[in-house]
Amino acid sequence: MKNPSDTDGDAEQTNAIQSDDSRVSRRKFLLAGVGGTGLLGAAALGISSEARAAILGGGAQGPGPYEPPRPGAIGTNSASAHGAMHPMPAVVGEVNHVRNGFNPSEMLVDFDGGKVSTLPNGQTLREYTLVAQNKTIEVVPGVQFAAWTYNGRVPGPTIRVTEGDRVRITHLNASDHPHSLHFHGVHPGSMDGVFDMRSGVVAPGGTYTYDFDAEPFGLHLYHCHTAPLAKHIAKGLYGAFIVDPKVGRPPVDRELVMVMSGYDVDFDGSNDFYMVNGIPFHYDRHPIVLKVGETVRVYLVNVLEYDQSNSFHLHANFFQYYPTGTSLTPSEFTDTVAQMQGQRGILEFSFKHPGRYMFHAHKTEFAELGWTGIFQVDA
Amino acid sequence: MSTMTDTAPVVSATPDAQPVRRQGLRTIFLLALPLVLLAGVIALFVYTQGAGLNVAPAAPIETVQFGRTILRPGEIEMHVRNTSPEAITLAQVNINDAIWPYEAVPSREISRLGSAVVTLRYPWVVGEAYEIGILSSNSIPFAHTIAVAAETPRASAATLWSFTLIGLYVGILPVLLGMLWLPALKQLGAGTMLFLMAATVGLLLYLGLDATAEALEMTSGLGGAFQGVGIVGIGIVGTWLLLDALSRRQRSIGRDEIGQRRSLALVIALGIGLHNLGEGLAIGAAYAVGAATLGTFLVVGFIIQNITEGLGIVVPLAKDRPSLRTLAFLGLIGGAPAIVGAWVGGLVNVQALSVLFLAIGAGAVFQVAYAIGRQMVWNNASARARPMTTFGGVLAGMLVLYLTGVVIK
Repeated sequence: MKNPSDTDGDAEQTNAIQSDDSRVSRRKFLLAGVGGTGLLGAAALGISSEARAAILGGGAQGPGPYEPPRPGAIGTNSASAHGAMHPMPAVVGEVNHVRNGFNPSEMLVDFDGGKVSTLPNGQTLREYTLVAQNKTIEVVPGVQFAAWTYNGRVPGPTIRVTEGDRVRITHLNASDHPHSLHFHGVHPGSMDGVFDMRSGVVAPGGTYTYDFDAEPFGLHLYHCHTAPLAKHIAKGLYGAFIVDPKVGRPPVDRELVMVMSGYDVDFDGSNDFYMVNGIPFHYDRHPIVLKVGETVRVYLVNVLEYDQSNSFHLHANFFQYYPTGTSLTPSEFTDTVAQMQGQRGILEFSFKHPGRYMFHAHKTEFAELGWTGIFQVDA
Repeated sequence: MSTMTDTAPVVSATPDAQPVRRQGLRTIFLLALPLVLLAGVIALFVYTQGAGLNVAPAAPIETVQFGRTILRPGEIEMHVRNTSPEAITLAQVNINDAIWPYEAVPSREISRLGSAVVTLRYPWVVGEAYEIGILSSNSIPFAHTIAVAAETPRASAATLWSFTLIGLYVGILPVLLGMLWLPALKQLGAGTMLFLMAATVGLLLYLGLDATAEALEMTSGLGGAFQGVGIVGIGIVGTWLLLDALSRRQRSIGRDEIGQRRSLALVIALGIGLHNLGEGLAIGAAYAVGAATLGTFLVVGFIIQNITEGLGIVVPLAKDRPSLRTLAFLGLIGGAPAIVGAWVGGLVNVQALSVLFLAIGAGAVFQVAYAIGRQMVWNNASARARPMTTFGGVLAGMLVLYLTGVVIK
C-alpha cells in the first residue's frame, strides 16, 4: 500500500480524488467528519483503495505512530502484570465464578465417573443425571449471557466411562424449550436424541433415560440435537464424553479436558467470544501450572458453532496427537492441530523448559477474542 | 393559552378589585386543572404497571453516540454519550476482532445523557481502518468506525492558526472578493440587476436546501434523546423568525430608501455569516480528524462557491455609494463566522451543536432569500414587468451552484 519514495504526494492525492471519486459531495465530505462515525476517512467517502493508497502514500506521512506504551497503565491482563511492554488483548475485570456456579480451573480436571454399580451380568453400570436448564452466565466480566446449560454449567459435565460399561443417563428438562442428549458413539436409534419423544427429545418438564453400552473407546462428545440445532449448541448445550479403553491408557501425571466453543452474545449468528471450558481468557488470567517433565494428556473437543473450524496451538513444544482417541498409537507429532465442529482428539506432551507458554487457537482472531491460555511451567 | 392570559388585563380593568382576584384564582385553577388530572392519569398508569399493557421491553433499549475520537500514538480515545432511556454499563471493548483492555473515565457506568471517555492503549497504524465495538453489560454492541487512522491535531497556537486560515480562505476572502463586483454592478441596467437579485435568491435557496439536507442527515448520528430533527426545526424556524423580526424592526424605524437597502444588505450579510458559521464548523471538524489532504481540494470548491455570497451582499447596494468601512464591515459579518466555526468544529466538535449550527445557517439563508425576494424582486414594479427575468435568475442561481458542484466534487 505505502510508497515512501513518493514525494509528490499532493498532486497525486488531488488527482486520485478527482478521478476516482465523483461521489464526494461538498457536504458528504464534511458529514463524515462531524457525523456519527466521528472520523472521516477515504473509505467512508467511497474512495477506491487505490485512491486511498495514493492519499496515504504521500511523503508527508511518517512511519506508524506506534511507540511502546508505558507498562501496566491500563488493563489487568496477565502479560502486563508480569511487566510485558506492550498491551495485549484481554478483558477488563473478573468473572464472578461463584455466581456462575462453575470455574474453568476446576472443570479442567473434573471427570465425572457417575454413580457406579455392577449389573447382574457383571457389567459396570454408570448412572448420571443431566438437567437442561436456562441459566444466565457472566461469560466475560460484566456481560451476562442467557445460556442453556446441562447441570448449570458450560460446557456440561465431562462424562467419563470405560469401554463396555453400561451408561444410563436420566435427562430432565427443567427449561422452557425441548432438549435432548445426542451422544457421539455407537448406540440404538432410540438413544440418539434427535427426532421425537421416543428417541430422546424431552419436552419442558419431561424426562428421558438414555441407556446404552459405551463404545467405541475414544474421546467423544455429547450435545443437544433439537432444532434449531445451531442455536441449541451455541447457547451452551454440549460436553465431553470420554470412553477409556478397557486396557486403559498409559499413565500420565496430569489429565486435562478442554472443550472449545464460543458465545454469540448479541445473537447475530457469529461469535463474539471464543474460549475453552466456558469462560473466555480464563487460562490467560489464571495460568495452568505444570512442572518441567510432567507428562500431560489433554482431551481436546471442538463444539464451536458458526465458525468452520477451530484449532489448538502449543507454544515452544510439540505433542503426540491421537485423533478421536480411538487408537493408542499417535498419528502425528505436531504443535498445531485443526478440528472441525464435532472433531476431537487427545494430546500428550511434557515441557522441557520452565517458563510461561501460551496455548491458543491458531486462528489468531479466535485467540484475541478469548480462546487463549497460558501454561506456567515451574522448574 | 395566550388568549387566556390576554383576557386577564381586560378583566382587571373593571373597577371592583375583589372579583378580579377571584377571577385570577379561577384562571389559575382552570389552567392547573388539566395538569392535576394529567398527574392522576400518569400515577394510575405507573401504579397499575402500564394498565395491563406489557411495557417492559424483552431486551433493554440501549443506544450510545460516539462523539469526538482522538488518536494519539499508541492510544485511541473515544468520547461516548449514553443516549438511551436508562443508564448503561460498558462491559468489554473489541477492536478489529480482538478484545482489548480499556479505561473508562469517569466510570464504566454512564447515566442517561451522561458521557464517558473510553481509552484503549492500542498500537494503531497510520492509514489503516479500525472497527471498534463496545459491548454493554446487556450484550448490546455499539460499533464505531475509524475509516482512516491518523493522529488527531491538538489544540495549540499552530492548530488554532491553521483553523483561522481555513476560515479566512473559506469565509472572509471569497466574500470580500465577491463584493469587488460592486463597481461593475453600478454599470448594469435594471433588467440585469433584477436578474442578479433573482440569482442571489436562487443561490441562497440552494445553500439552504443543502444545509438542511446535511443537518437532517447528520441527525442520524445523534441519539434519540437529542431529537435531531427537532433541533433542525428549531434552528431553521427560530433563525427565520428572528431575522424576519430584526428586518421588520429596521423597516419600521422608517428609514429612507438607501437606509432600507443598507439594512437589507446587513441582513443578507448576517444570514450568510450564520451560514458560514455552520460551514466553518463542518470544515474544522473534517480537518480535525486528519482529513486535511481531502480538505485541501474541497476547500477550493468552497472558495469558488462562496464568492457568490459576496456578490449577494453587495447587490442591494448597487445604486448607492457605501464607504469602504461599511463594505469591510459587511464582509466581516458575512465571512468571519467561518473562522469561529472552524475553531469550534476543529477543537470541540459537539455533534448536536453542528446540527444546530447547520440548521441556523439554513434558516438564515432561507430568510434572506425570502427578504430579497420580497423587497427587491416581487414587490418591485419593474420586476413585475419582467416575470421571466425573475424565473431565469432564480434558476440560474441554483444552477450555478449545482454545476460548480458537479465540476469540483
